Amino acid sequence: MKTKEKTEAGPAERTTTVTARPEPEPKAEGKPAAPAVEPAIRITGLRKTYGDVQAVKGIDLDIAPGEVVALLGPNGAGKSTTVDMVLGLSKPTAGGITLFGKDPYIAVREGLASAVLQDGSLIDDLSVRETLGMISSLHKNPMPMDEVLRRANIEDIADRRGTKLSGGQRQRARFACALIGNPQLLILDEPTSAMDVGSRRKFWESMRKFTDTGRTVVFATHYLDEAEEFADRVVLMRSGTIAADGTVAQIRALTAGRMLRASVPDATAKELGTLPGVTGATLRLGQAELHCEDSDKALRALLTKYPDAHDIEISASGLEEAFLSLTAAEEADAA
Amino acid sequence: MTGYLSTEIKRMLRGPRFIIFAFVMPVLLYSLECMLYKNQTIPHSGGITYSAWLMCSLAAYSAFTSSMHTTARVSHERAIGWHRQLRLTPLLPRTYLLTKVFVAMIVALPGPALVALFGALTQDVHMTTGGWLQITLGIWIASLPCAVLGLVIGLYVQPEQQQMYLQGLIILFGFLGGLLLPTTGFPDWLVAIIKIMPSYWLADIGHGALLHDTRAVTGGLVLAAWTLVFSGAVVLSYRREAARA
Repeated sequence: MKTKEKTEAGPAERTTTVTARPEPEPKAEGKPAAPAVEPAIRITGLRKTYGDVQAVKGIDLDIAPGEVVALLGPNGAGKSTTVDMVLGLSKPTAGGITLFGKDPYIAVREGLASAVLQDGSLIDDLSVRETLGMISSLHKNPMPMDEVLRRANIEDIADRRGTKLSGGQRQRARFACALIGNPQLLILDEPTSAMDVGSRRKFWESMRKFTDTGRTVVFATHYLDEAEEFADRVVLMRSGTIAADGTVAQIRALTAGRMLRASVPDATAKELGTLPGVTGATLRLGQAELHCEDSDKALRALLTKYPDAHDIEISASGLEEAFLSLTAAEEADAA
Repeated sequence: MTGYLSTEIKRMLRGPRFIIFAFVMPVLLYSLECMLYKNQTIPHSGGITYSAWLMCSLAAYSAFTSSMHTTARVSHERAIGWHRQLRLTPLLPRTYLLTKVFVAMIVALPGPALVALFGALTQDVHMTTGGWLQITLGIWIASLPCAVLGLVIGLYVQPEQQQMYLQGLIILFGFLGGLLLPTTGFPDWLVAIIKIMPSYWLADIGHGALLHDTRAVTGGLVLAAWTLVFSGAVVLSYRREAARA
């Protein structure tokens, strides 16, 4: 489940897709090899309770170095609680966490791991550059200042004070604060929630450059398109547990398969529903919608039986449908 | 960790308004009180003038207000999430806290010196060199528990309530602690309470220089005890935050 097949799977499954979304560019080759290395994150039996509330109810998760993982889930799923514990900001009620084989607190102190947290501001009376310089002085192997400013896309606002930044600028400046220690693992808790569309694009551009260097990134997000576009792997959380874990393609396949749409004259829904590879069919005014577990097989059968079928579209069900059905389902098993 | 310290000193120098307030206010209060008492001597004191006595009190007032104000600003940093940001850096909590106290002590140094200078130049206060050192450097060092107390406020209190707590403590320490008013007219039970307060002993570091007795030593011990108590509260708060968050 943890192999990176996103880029390979991407183009193949969307040959005739109509939902126009630019395909993610292929990731740089030669990411660090995972085996024989300590996982970037290892979580075992993690629990956190606040009084009577069980925020996290037992999580096991390994994330290999170099993976880009999206942490999805509705509000209250336990994402932020988990992130806090992974960073050593709060103590687990039970269970263990190591980052590169080390205690989170140690890993953070050594600059191995850093994060952009959901809330948080910059110091008002310092410029962005001064704040970065201060944090840089605390680290043993900081990233050069110019590189940080370039990577975080904040060269133009480096000399502004904290109070003079827009929401998106502040968020990019905080991203720079996380970059300056040159971390191997970066955790982002809803990094783009305060951003407009333009800022979000800029932010993910810089993020892509960062992950291209083979570093591990885990980001919690509400935006499913961000997960689809940037993550190798999706971990779906629901009420304090992991509801599903796999590549974007695997998560989608868990629930919905593909949708085949076509104009099919002289057919009935019942006949269409019995075609090989089709799991469900509706027909309205000659327009057929076929839910397929194997859309290739279904299409061949459709054209053999109904040569007049035209205007054919096959689309992958989005992550959104998978997300909704998985987070809503009471009995969804961990993948 | 000098990078963090120099940044904090830079920030301190950027907020001159409250520094001026902390330095100028005590001198102003001092000159007002001296006008009130003119050149009278304190009864049964062996010729000590009010202006000399008040100089020690206001030097202490200056030291404790400026140091406490500086560390209490921590509450703002906590509220905006800067603490969490710092906890994602290699900065150790104790370095953070010690730096805050250190910077507060830098801010606290000029105040007592200014009051002493004012007393020497305009109020004709005379002292031995040792006496002058005792009311400047002595009071400055002895204001350490107040810097730590400011940190306690900064860590426990929300920024909206921080001013209220600070003002409350300044009034409590200033008036009841015998800094702004001589305690001679107070009833015995109130004097007993006053003698618990760190501000009373802070002023007595200076008063000891006037009276040539060992009350400064007692004061030093009491203030050291307060420093321990307040430091304990700081450590407790930081642990509590780490466990809860």
